[in-house]
Amino acid sequence: MARIVGGVGCSHAPSIAHSFDRGLQKDPLWAPLYDGFEPAKIWLDKLKPDLIVAVYNDHMNRFFFDAYPTFALGVADRHPQADEGWGKRDLPDLPGNAEFSWHLAQSLVEDEFDPTICQEMPVDHGVLSILPLLTDNRWPAPLVPLAANVIQHPLPTPKRFFHLGQAIRRAVESYPQDLRVLVVSTGGMSHQLHGERFGFMNPDWDNEFLDRLESDPQSLVALRHHDYMERGGAESVEMIMWLAMRSALGDKVRRVHRHYYAPLLTGYGLVVFEQADA
Amino acid sequence: MSGATYRDTPIPGTLVFTGARSRQGYRINKFAMSLTEPANRDAFKADEAGYMRRFDMTDREIDLVRKRDWKGLVEAGGNIYVLIKVGGAVGENLLKMGAQMRGQSLDEFMNTRPGPQGIAVTRSR
Repeated sequence: MARIVGGVGCSHAPSIAHSFDRGLQKDPLWAPLYDGFEPAKIWLDKLKPDLIVAVYNDHMNRFFFDAYPTFALGVADRHPQADEGWGKRDLPDLPGNAEFSWHLAQSLVEDEFDPTICQEMPVDHGVLSILPLLTDNRWPAPLVPLAANVIQHPLPTPKRFFHLGQAIRRAVESYPQDLRVLVVSTGGMSHQLHGERFGFMNPDWDNEFLDRLESDPQSLVALRHHDYMERGGAESVEMIMWLAMRSALGDKVRRVHRHYYAPLLTGYGLVVFEQADA
Repeated sequence: MSGATYRDTPIPGTLVFTGARSRQGYRINKFAMSLTEPANRDAFKADEAGYMRRFDMTDREIDLVRKRDWKGLVEAGGNIYVLIKVGGAVGENLLKMGAQMRGQSLDEFMNTRPGPQGIAVTRSR
């Protein structure tokens, strides 16, 4: 039987990819971010998961508003990189696991989640900006991309993401093969990228979110999209995706690592959990 | 209808990307999305207005792009995640676009950023 061996929540951002590609790991502006990922990288290198299930959002690189799926699951053995509008990065394709993905599709549908099933799933910075910070090897493990709409309202509710994580767990635990699975949610934290409130960040709220994610996730489930947007900026509503990672780990978690840094436009958060009873 | 999703309650300085905005900005966003193709970026750069007319954009929408009026484009229903593809094609990054939306120069905006002094917090077990 497959089982979940850990969870990672972290912010994604084009700026992270940009700093990586320009070799700014030691730059004074970027070093605190990279230093903050180091313990997670060491942990992951030791954990050596067989598979990653990643809950993230696409930024109009795979999907457009002509047909925008609320949930979309990549079912392929390989995920190419999407061109986000300024050329592709020098990265190889991301390995996937079509067999597990189809199992996940079936299990999710039986659990009354109905994702769009994508046999081609180019991935963008929602997945690719953070993976190179989590490993020195390309890539840490094959990855199953599960994209969610957190851009065009109405969005799925925080509660829906919490239930999604539980459904991912049931899918993992009903997979016959012995796979050790890492669940990753990316997104946020506080940021607003448009309007007069462009550049808004709220480190106090971000850190409160990280506290509550660990010890009282139900209090985050109870908040509305409006609350997230008001506290963290409109685009920070994607933080609700972290609830899927949290609920996939079960009731109680043990924090392995946590880091937060907010230098520029987005609160860069990182949290690493293991199951408390593992 | 349980009211569990966002309904138009205003948030200051914010234009939430609702269905109404997505409908309003559809032409702008479709044009911007097309710039994920390198050949389309070249075609746009060679003849901006001619390229945009292919997407049935109005004269006013084309003018907003010509003026690099990001604030106006968002108000016209443009979504920032596709507008940055336009920015990329015309050589403006998100920081510069954002400064313009705030009515500031890039330098003025960058002076509001915490930079390396930004709060960094680590908590390991």
